[in-house]
Amino acid sequence: MKACIARRLAGLLAAGLLAVAAALAAPPTPLTPTERARILGHGPWPPPAAVDAGNALAGREHAIALGQQLFFDPRLSPDGRLACASCHAPALAFSDGRARSMGRAELDRNAPSLWNAVHARWWDWDGAADSLWSQALHPLTDARELATSGAHLRTVVESDAQLACRWRQATGGPPPAEDEAMLVHTAKLLGAFVGSLVSARTPFDDFRDALGRGDAAAMVRYPAEARRGLQLFVGRARCHLCHAGPTFSNGEFADIGAGFFVRPGVVDPGRHRGIQRLQASRHSLLSVHADAPGDAATKTRHVQLQHRNFGEFKVPSLRNASATAPYLHDGRLATLADVVRHYDQIDLERLHADGERILEPLGLDAGERADLLAFLRSLEDPLARGWQPQPPAPCRQVPDRP
Amino acid sequence: MRGGGRVLAVASMAAMLGMVPGRAPAADAGCGPAPEVRHRLEAASARHRVVFVPQPAPLASGRHFSLDITVCPRGGASLPLALRVDADMPAHRHGMNYRPTVRVLGEGRYRADGLLMHMPGRWRFSFELSADGRLDRLSHEVDVE
Repeated sequence: MKACIARRLAGLLAAGLLAVAAALAAPPTPLTPTERARILGHGPWPPPAAVDAGNALAGREHAIALGQQLFFDPRLSPDGRLACASCHAPALAFSDGRARSMGRAELDRNAPSLWNAVHARWWDWDGAADSLWSQALHPLTDARELATSGAHLRTVVESDAQLACRWRQATGGPPPAEDEAMLVHTAKLLGAFVGSLVSARTPFDDFRDALGRGDAAAMVRYPAEARRGLQLFVGRARCHLCHAGPTFSNGEFADIGAGFFVRPGVVDPGRHRGIQRLQASRHSLLSVHADAPGDAATKTRHVQLQHRNFGEFKVPSLRNASATAPYLHDGRLATLADVVRHYDQIDLERLHADGERILEPLGLDAGERADLLAFLRSLEDPLARGWQPQPPAPCRQVPDRP
Repeated sequence: MRGGGRVLAVASMAAMLGMVPGRAPAADAGCGPAPEVRHRLEAASARHRVVFVPQPAPLASGRHFSLDITVCPRGGASLPLALRVDADMPAHRHGMNYRPTVRVLGEGRYRADGLLMHMPGRWRFSFELSADGRLDRLSHEVDVE
């Protein structure tokens, strides 16, 4: 009996190995013109430079450096316990590894990665912010997060000679006397830093560019399973509809049946409330605090609140997603494999999308799920987890700008 | 229907009061930019032709754009007193996330701002014209990458 079982197991193993070998040896399925066009649409990378809209400090070297220093400085919170980096750790691609972030209490949502955030259209999972700097005001002032104030921030800066010197260097003047202006300036410095975080190229980018120039020798260096996963991504699985363009996000919002109860009896309405918060904000790109936003304010001027926004959350970028577990707006899915399984077996009854017809169960087999995972992992910048802050250079006193 | 109850952009009444509706582009055949103008699109009914050009062109998903629109009456119809513009994806059953606004430029010309097609695929432009006490609805479908 034991010998029989052993023979069967050996047979199964051999068959499995043969299947694997055949799969590895098989030439990749040729790309159709549509697949090729869609793949090319996910580049080039890096895309043209972007800056934080309505932020006169964006792109300035001294502002980025000071923004970086402030990002890691727990003195920004009055009790010295929390910094921005508490929930956005470089080693975790500027996320925190928790389902829901922990500030002074557990928050309602997962900390998103900050890599390439400057290329988004909206910020926060509900898109309540229309710029990086206006988003930064939220964690700065929220009672469950840094819970700081303009007065406290001014005290921190003025009590540290080097910090005060760098403030003058970056902004051209002393810390503002008015509390709200101090908060907004600090948020713009943070926006300048976060806006500088653009990740490097990935194995996918090399494949995509090789495809564009018809370099077959370079294309074969892309793992076969990742290529099969990519073909699923832009093909039958239709992931590219929402995860579009070089960032792998269309910058908008979707209901994916994830559920929206924060806790029993408490609902997170997602985009529906986000638009209401945006339209009530004193710090949007339509406000007096925005520095010449120009066409960047078009989105804010024209966004419309619709019933279907209820339960929609932001479509995240997939770059570096493999470094930012857990997933979804509330971190309810622990692994990327869980995310693939969610879409593979999606429960359409959980959608409340007024009949929208985009998502449907994919019915993938185990190999196809593994291929999608291999593709998603090929979107990780190999250097992203190793990012280290630059130590600030000594600052010499600079005169205020006239 | 997802996107049901969608709100169409309407040329404001204040702008309408400032327009001169009497001078329509008369020749139906010569409506709007010349046919050879790149990225020129057109929708037509028995009563109107709508010729429109996206700015910037070509249309692409994921970026805001405007439409330069020319309306030409046909068959004795008048220029519309109001023009509404919208777009949706019939196959997906959703519309845009943005509400365009329409400015009246006069002599049958309009400018719609604030449109954004947030997915690749087939989109349908819709125009609703109010003229001679009647509504005239026109549409045109485009494939956007």
